[in-house]
Amino acid sequence: MVGEAKISVLGIFTTIVLLIAAIVTLYPLVYILAISLSDTASVVQGKVWLWPEGLNFDAYMQVLKDNRIPKAYMNTVFYTALGTSINLAMTAIAAYPLSKSNFIGRKYWMFGIVLTMFLNAGIIPNYLIVQKLGLLDSVWALVIPNAIWTFELIILKSFYEGMSSQIREAALIDGASEFRILFNIVIPLSKPALASIGLFYFMGHWNSFFIPMIYLNDATMYPLQVVLRDMLIFSEGSGASLVDAQALAPQAKKNATIVLSMIPVLLMYPFVQKYFAKGVMLGSEKG
Amino acid sequence: MPDVSHALQPLGKKTYKSRLSATLKHIKRDRQLLILFIPCVAFYLIFRYGPLYGLIIAFKDYSVWNGILGSDWVGLKHFVKFFSSNDFILLFKNTLLLGFYALIFGFPFPIILAVLLNEVRLKWFKKSVQTFTYLPSFLSVVIISSMVIDFLSPSSGMINKLIAMLGFEKIYFLIMPEWFRTIYVVSDIWAHMGYEAIIYLAAIAGISPTLYEAARVDGASRLRRMWHITIPSILPTILIMLIMKVGNMMRIGYEKVLLLYTPTTYEVADVFSTFVYRKGLLETNYSYAAAVGMFEALVAMFMILSANYFSRKLGGKGLW
Repeated sequence: MVGEAKISVLGIFTTIVLLIAAIVTLYPLVYILAISLSDTASVVQGKVWLWPEGLNFDAYMQVLKDNRIPKAYMNTVFYTALGTSINLAMTAIAAYPLSKSNFIGRKYWMFGIVLTMFLNAGIIPNYLIVQKLGLLDSVWALVIPNAIWTFELIILKSFYEGMSSQIREAALIDGASEFRILFNIVIPLSKPALASIGLFYFMGHWNSFFIPMIYLNDATMYPLQVVLRDMLIFSEGSGASLVDAQALAPQAKKNATIVLSMIPVLLMYPFVQKYFAKGVMLGSEKG
Repeated sequence: MPDVSHALQPLGKKTYKSRLSATLKHIKRDRQLLILFIPCVAFYLIFRYGPLYGLIIAFKDYSVWNGILGSDWVGLKHFVKFFSSNDFILLFKNTLLLGFYALIFGFPFPIILAVLLNEVRLKWFKKSVQTFTYLPSFLSVVIISSMVIDFLSPSSGMINKLIAMLGFEKIYFLIMPEWFRTIYVVSDIWAHMGYEAIIYLAAIAGISPTLYEAARVDGASRLRRMWHITIPSILPTILIMLIMKVGNMMRIGYEKVLLLYTPTTYEVADVFSTFVYRKGLLETNYSYAAAVGMFEALVAMFMILSANYFSRKLGGKGLW
C-alpha cells in the first residue's frame, strides 16, 4: 500500500514537472504568434498574453508589402537549397573513399581531416581567404567555405562502413567502376543517413546569420536572418537606438516575420523528429 | 658488425624499391577513388588549412595592399600588446565565466528531463513533451535573441509587465551588466535542454529491462528504481558529456552574445570572438584581431584535447 502511494506521488510529480517544461518551452512561441495576429492597439497596451486580441493579419500583409522581407525570404530559400545540395554532394562523395578500409593513405587523410576539428584559425583568417578568393558579396561565400562539416562527414563515413559490402564487391567483380558503385548503389542505399545529415545542413543554412552578415555587404542579398537581426538592432531592447522603437520595427511585424521564418522548420518537423534524433545518436556514438 | 650492415643494405634498398612500386600499384588501383577524393582534399586544403596558414598575419602588420606574404613581420608585437592590455584579463574572465555558468547551470536540466520522461507511461504524453521541448533547438539564434529582447523589454515585455503588476520598478535588463550572464544562461537552457536530453534518453533506452523487472520483484519502488538503476546506468554517459562540455567551455555561443550585448554590458558580455569581430572586421585591425583569435583557439584546443584525454582515461570513447 505504501508502495502504491509512493508510485502515484512520483507520477504526479513527474507529470507536473514535465508539463511545466513543455509550457515553458512552448509559451514564448505561442506568445509570438499571438502578438503577430493582434491589432496594434492591443499590443501597445500590453493586453496580449496568450490569445490574439483583435485578431487580424495586418502584420503579415505589412511583411508581404515590405520589399525587403519577401526578397530576403527568397534569398534564404535559395541559399539553403543550393548550400544543402552542395553539402550533401560533397559529403556523400568524400565519405566514400574514406569508408574503404584499404583506400591509399586512409589513416593520414583521416588524421588530416579530424585535426581540423581542433585547429580552428578563427574568424579573421577565414575572412581573408574568402576575400582573397573574391567570394565576398556572392552566394559562394555562404556555401563553399563550409561545404563539408567534418562531423557529418564522419557520420556518413561510418554509415557507409556499416553497409553490407557484398553488393559492392559483386558490382566490382562485374566490372562496375567506383563511380557507378557510389552513385548507383551506395548513395541510394544511404538515404536515411543522407536525410539525417541533410537536416543538419538544412538547419545550418536556414538559421545562419553570422556568416552572411560578415560576407555580404549588399543589402538586397541579405537572407531572412540578417534582416531579422536588423529589425532587432532597431528595437528598443538592444539600446542601440534611442529613437521610438515602435515606429521603426513594430513588434507585430517583427513577430510575423519570425513566424514566417519558422514555417519551413515546422513543416519539416515530422521528418526532423524521425531523422534528427538518429543523427544526434549517430554523432554521439561515432564522432 | 660492419658485415651485417653491409649485408642488410641491398635488402633495405630492395624493400624500399618494392615498397615504392607497391605504392604506385596501390595508387593505380585506387585511381578512381582518388579522383572522387579530389574535391574533398581541395576543400580541406583551401578552407581548413588555408586559414591556418593565414594565421601568420598575427605576426605581421597585415595590410590589404601588401597581402599576407608582402606585409612586414613584427614578431610578437600584437600578442604583447594584447597581453598587456586590460582587454586580455576582461575577455578571458568573461569567456570562462559565461562558459562556466552555462555549463554548471545548464548541465542538470537535460538529465532531469530525460530521467523524468523515462518514468512516463502514457506514450502520447511522453511524445508531446519531447516534441515541444526540443522544438527550440531548431530556432535560429536571431529568433531566440529576439524573443529574449521582447520578453525583457521595459515597455512591452512580459517580465516587466509582471514586475509592474507586483508593484516594483521596471528593470532595464539588457543594459544592466549584472543581468547579462543570467539572461545568457537561462536562454541557453531553454534552447538546448530538449536536444541534449535525446542523448540521455538513448542511454536510458539501452538499459536492460531485466534490471527493472528484478528490482520490481524485489519490491523496489519507482523512485528507488530510478535512483538505483536509471541514474547509475547512465552515469558513464553523464560523465563523458560533462568532460566534453568542460572541453568546449571556451566555445561560447558568441552569435547570441553579439545579438544581446550592448556597449553598457561589454564589461561582462564581451568575449574573445565578439572582440575579434569588432577589432578585425569592424575596425579592420586584422593582425591584432588574428592574434587574439589565435590565442583563443590555442586555449580552446588545449581544453578540448585535455577533455578528450580524460575521457579516454576513464574508459570512454574520445571524440575520435
